[in-house]
Amino acid sequence: MKLAPTIGLALRSLSRNKLRSFFMMLGVIIGIAALTALASVGEATRQETLRQFKRMIGTFDTLTVRPGAGSTRGMPALNSVEPTLRFEDAPAVAAVAGVQRVAMVQQAFDLDVIHRDRSTTPGLFGVSVEWADIRGESVVLGENLTEEDQRSLARVVVLGEDVRETLFPGEDPLGKVVRIADVPFQVKGVFASRGAGPGGASLDNMVVIPVTTASRRLFNRDYLTNLVVQIEDPDASDAIAERVRVALRERHRLVPPVPDDFTVTSPRASLERITEVGSTLGRVMNGVAWIATLIGGVVIMALMLVGVSERRREIGVRRAVGATRGDILKQFLVEAVVISGVGGLIGIVLGAGGATVAALLQKLPPAYLWSTIGLAVVLSFVVGLVFGLQPAWRAAKVDPIEALRS
Amino acid sequence: MIETRQLSRTYRRGDGTPVTALRDITLTIADNEFVVVRGSSGSGKSSLLNILGCLDTPTSGSYLLGGEDVSHYSEDQRSRVRSRRIGFVFQSFNLLPRTTALENVEVPALYADAPPDRGRALSLLERVGLGSRAHHFVSELSGGEQQRVAIARALMNGPPLLLADEPTGNLDSTVGDSIMDLLTELHAEGRTIVLVTHDEHVASYARREIVIRDGVVASDRPQDASRRRA
Repeated sequence: MKLAPTIGLALRSLSRNKLRSFFMMLGVIIGIAALTALASVGEATRQETLRQFKRMIGTFDTLTVRPGAGSTRGMPALNSVEPTLRFEDAPAVAAVAGVQRVAMVQQAFDLDVIHRDRSTTPGLFGVSVEWADIRGESVVLGENLTEEDQRSLARVVVLGEDVRETLFPGEDPLGKVVRIADVPFQVKGVFASRGAGPGGASLDNMVVIPVTTASRRLFNRDYLTNLVVQIEDPDASDAIAERVRVALRERHRLVPPVPDDFTVTSPRASLERITEVGSTLGRVMNGVAWIATLIGGVVIMALMLVGVSERRREIGVRRAVGATRGDILKQFLVEAVVISGVGGLIGIVLGAGGATVAALLQKLPPAYLWSTIGLAVVLSFVVGLVFGLQPAWRAAKVDPIEALRS
Repeated sequence: MIETRQLSRTYRRGDGTPVTALRDITLTIADNEFVVVRGSSGSGKSSLLNILGCLDTPTSGSYLLGGEDVSHYSEDQRSRVRSRRIGFVFQSFNLLPRTTALENVEVPALYADAPPDRGRALSLLERVGLGSRAHHFVSELSGGEQQRVAIARALMNGPPLLLADEPTGNLDSTVGDSIMDLLTELHAEGRTIVLVTHDEHVASYARREIVIRDGVVASDRPQDASRRRA
């Protein structure tokens, strides 16, 4: 007996008892729906995290150099970092093959910015002119910082949208003076809004001044919190990072076994690490979904076994009119695979639908992890095949003489 | 059509003691015969029918069906023989529940490696007088109608041999007579029919009567015209 009529036979047999078929599918539906939904929600969240980071750092084709060995969590501030990354390191890094340009940064997060009776505490970035270009910052009002500002240690500031909104509500800020740690700065421009970054924090709560001004007139420090290094080929970031490391060790005159007094990281690599790992809760729920699918398989097996004893007479008739044991085995096996497969497809539709609703409720664009959905399809068919084998085997072994005895 | 030589069938009870159901049955049934096999319950007539229907194999002796020795055929070989050469009619009809008359008639074609032939199934239903009931579910048919569907099913793969086991046993006598009339017509069309019954009235339709008692042929004689109905 060929496969196509066997599948037709299975579909007719299942449609004859729809309620029972539904209950047989239920476990697989739930398990596969959960697998699909978890993967899709996870993917939507991961893509949103990527987008947030992308908004924050503007581009992924960069390396970050920080002072001190080992990785630090969160944003380094000038008053907490080791004084090992110097201004003179920037041209040395810029000279490394594969490096496009380098931005110097001194940053702090605890300085008040005051205009008249209004005050706020944004992120303060003292940067070299390359910085805004690398991040893709654009100015919507006034002008950006220039090389001339940097050379002349100008006390000028460009505001993020949040700071403008707080200090100059309904007011033109250009040319006005704000005081940062009691040093007066003239507002030169306002950056375009960048929206939310990682964790939903606003990316517009910042002020930017020339790094030279920050160093000499604000902090009185001649070391940096970090360098932002734009590279030519993001796929070669590991090799370029290694060349940067060698160049800096040479500049810092470090000889083995003295360890590095700086750290080179690739934001893309660390971001991928963050988003790949996923939460413990997610892993547990994923495990539960797998178990639900397997329980679905056991349910199919149990109900199929009941079905085999209820259908002994049918098996006897089919054998009498010419079905071989192989035909009967195939019929029951295909029924199990069809039940499980149809359950899996329903589960995928429900799971993807649920994930879409969940994403839209969180105002995220929905995303689907196709590899997991493909795996779910395969899994549901395999479950039917594995758990259908025992009932099908039992059906094939039914003795037609006994089954037909009335 | 059928030739058995010293056919025996021994079963083993649960405790291992052998029970002989058939002993040295030697029979010849020619093409286009209408034979009734009679015997009381436990006489061995069902065992004989199982072997003749290739559902079972003899413990010893040989069985030639259409000149082919099928006594030592494997399960799969016997399935093929049943599919092409034997049509079964059962006492309790044995139709598939929650299925239409037409679907029941089509079942044997599934296992004959033949392309699906709905037209043939429909014409067979018309042949047994149920053309208008083809799409009715089995549960909507009377007992006599169900047995007609079963007969149409037995004819689906065009087998030369029909084996009927108490085909009227679950029907009242009028309906039973109409089923017997149908079988008589099918015999007249050239089929060989072997009918197992303990009912003398049903037996009276056949041309030849074989009586089985205690696993052996007790008598084998043509029915005289006075006893015959047809």
